[in-house]
Amino acid sequence: MSISPVLQVEDLHIDFQNDQKPLPVLRGLSYTLAAGRVLAVVGESGSGKTVHALSLLRLLPAAGRVSGGKILYKGENLLALCEKELRQVRGQKIAMIFQDPAASLNPVLTVGEQLTETLRAHRKLTKEQARQEAVKLLEKVGIADAEKRLDEYPFQFSGGMCQRVMIAMALALSPDILIADEPTTALDVTIQAQIIRLIKQLQEREKMAVIFITHNLALASQVADEVLVLYGGMCMEQAPAKELFSQPKHPYTQGLLASLASLKTRPERLPAIAGQPPVPGEIVTGCPFAPRCPRVKEKCRQSLPPLTKRGEHAVRCFWENKP
Amino acid sequence: MFRYIVRRLLLLPLVVLGVTFLLFFLTQRLSPEMRASLYVKDARQMGALEEVIRQYGLRDNVFKQYGRWLGQVVRGDLGYSPSANMPVSKALREYLPATVQLALLTMILVVFFGVWFGAFSAVHKDKWQDSLARVVSVGGFSLPIFVLGLLLLMFFYGKLGWFAPGGYSFQTDMIIHSAVFKNYTGFLLIDALLNWNWRVFGDVLSHLVLPAVTLCIGSFALMVRVMRSSMLEELNKEYVRTARAKGLSDRQVIYKHAGKNAIIPVITLASIQFIRLLGGTVIVETIFDYPGIGRFGVLAAQQLDIAGILGFSLMVAVLFVLGNLLSDILYTAVDPRIRLE
Repeated sequence: MSISPVLQVEDLHIDFQNDQKPLPVLRGLSYTLAAGRVLAVVGESGSGKTVHALSLLRLLPAAGRVSGGKILYKGENLLALCEKELRQVRGQKIAMIFQDPAASLNPVLTVGEQLTETLRAHRKLTKEQARQEAVKLLEKVGIADAEKRLDEYPFQFSGGMCQRVMIAMALALSPDILIADEPTTALDVTIQAQIIRLIKQLQEREKMAVIFITHNLALASQVADEVLVLYGGMCMEQAPAKELFSQPKHPYTQGLLASLASLKTRPERLPAIAGQPPVPGEIVTGCPFAPRCPRVKEKCRQSLPPLTKRGEHAVRCFWENKP
Repeated sequence: MFRYIVRRLLLLPLVVLGVTFLLFFLTQRLSPEMRASLYVKDARQMGALEEVIRQYGLRDNVFKQYGRWLGQVVRGDLGYSPSANMPVSKALREYLPATVQLALLTMILVVFFGVWFGAFSAVHKDKWQDSLARVVSVGGFSLPIFVLGLLLLMFFYGKLGWFAPGGYSFQTDMIIHSAVFKNYTGFLLIDALLNWNWRVFGDVLSHLVLPAVTLCIGSFALMVRVMRSSMLEELNKEYVRTARAKGLSDRQVIYKHAGKNAIIPVITLASIQFIRLLGGTVIVETIFDYPGIGRFGVLAAQQLDIAGILGFSLMVAVLFVLGNLLSDILYTAVDPRIRLE
């Protein structure tokens, strides 16, 4: 690939402190994100996807701690930055939008205030200039009557509108990377589609790289250039989106795809993956998916399969080529 | 909002009627003779008790008597207070401003230090700063107010000779009762400023310091606790994470984003405390010989000064309703969700 990477995550480990005992929630995640590309990180609740996203901006809750690895933004390790340097990155180079847009905006500050303060935190602008910019940003994300709506409060906006505001805020400083942590989970389906379209549109126009965190494979297939499947804090499979959806190699990915509803097949009951996902932080030897895997063999329970890469397709399974 | 205020103000007469009627009803437990003897100034009149009872209608039905009292109140006559040796309305006008001044100064101290300390405590949760704040506030809270007041008085006045008790010094007394000092509001601090008299202002303020500090230390602990827990709750909210993700400084995240939300419960507490201070600074006013309304109320109660007691309760009831209204209005100032409903 000729495009230079904007973000490299190398062997990232994250622990949560629980009763003095560190519980690993992310175990050795590595990937490279090229400028202007969309990477979808897919996983169930507890797979470590949100924790990973928060760690990129060092926003982990107090109990969480990066216990190993590197996060390189254009070659610079974000984990080694001091608070002040980190603030330069946050919002300006890497921006983030969250799952619950209504709760992610401050209820007692106007939307305009929250937008302009982002601009003014990184750029020398007068209040008036910042306001002009904010109007343009709201128009960019498709909010009508922007001038007037700047003086309104988040509770006067619908959920979808709040997420548009969040997106406007994230785009304010034309970041290189946008992290979208389940940006549509709290919204209803029709709004979901609009927001996804908006993100995709803006991503193409602004040539941003996007890390799209979701539990929804169908969504991932709409937006992503590349997909990374997380399970139990580990990458199970990573491949270009088309390839992953047409030829999934890991039994977990196959199971997920099989459980998607489709208009073509219409089964009586959707197939599901048997069993429960592992409790985050639970220490298992062997493959974390082994207890639920239809193709499990003794070896899977004893040792962890390595992530093996063929071309651009990486899979963590001993039996990927044998049915 | 306007309709809301009007509705609250319509409630005012109801509260006042309820409180005063209850008290009036209680005074009826005293026999007419006993109540009549309160009007009697010297022993010779004791023989004429029956005359007094008839004159004031003390044997009438309680509603009739209450109605009569109410009629007087509407005309602005609250009766004569033997304990204060002046009409009740005059006593209220004289003592209430002093208490309001004291309560306001106390609340300014409580809110300022309480909010600051509480926020500081929350930001440094479980560190030594937090423990220190906890020890200081709980210590203040546990110390009985009369012990604290006496200790402060002994040390600052007894030992150092600062901050004399009373409402103002003898010289100030002379000035404010002279013709050159114009009485605009009854609030000595404000009047002193309006008269451009810094000596009076300084003197009155210095007499406020010890009682205000004493009251403050008692109320401060609760304020710190409320602010601390409210701040901790806000700091864990998602919008705080957003603010950090935007690259704002810690200062902005804590004070502007979390602080503005955390202050909302503080307003409730502050108004409750303020109202309580207005009606009940009795102990502190007694210790510091401060000429406030609390002392007037206690004296009236001790001497069975019925007019005084009723006047005092009437005032407390009015202040209670107005204080609550004020806190509601303050809410709307900080919380747009209430303002724009």
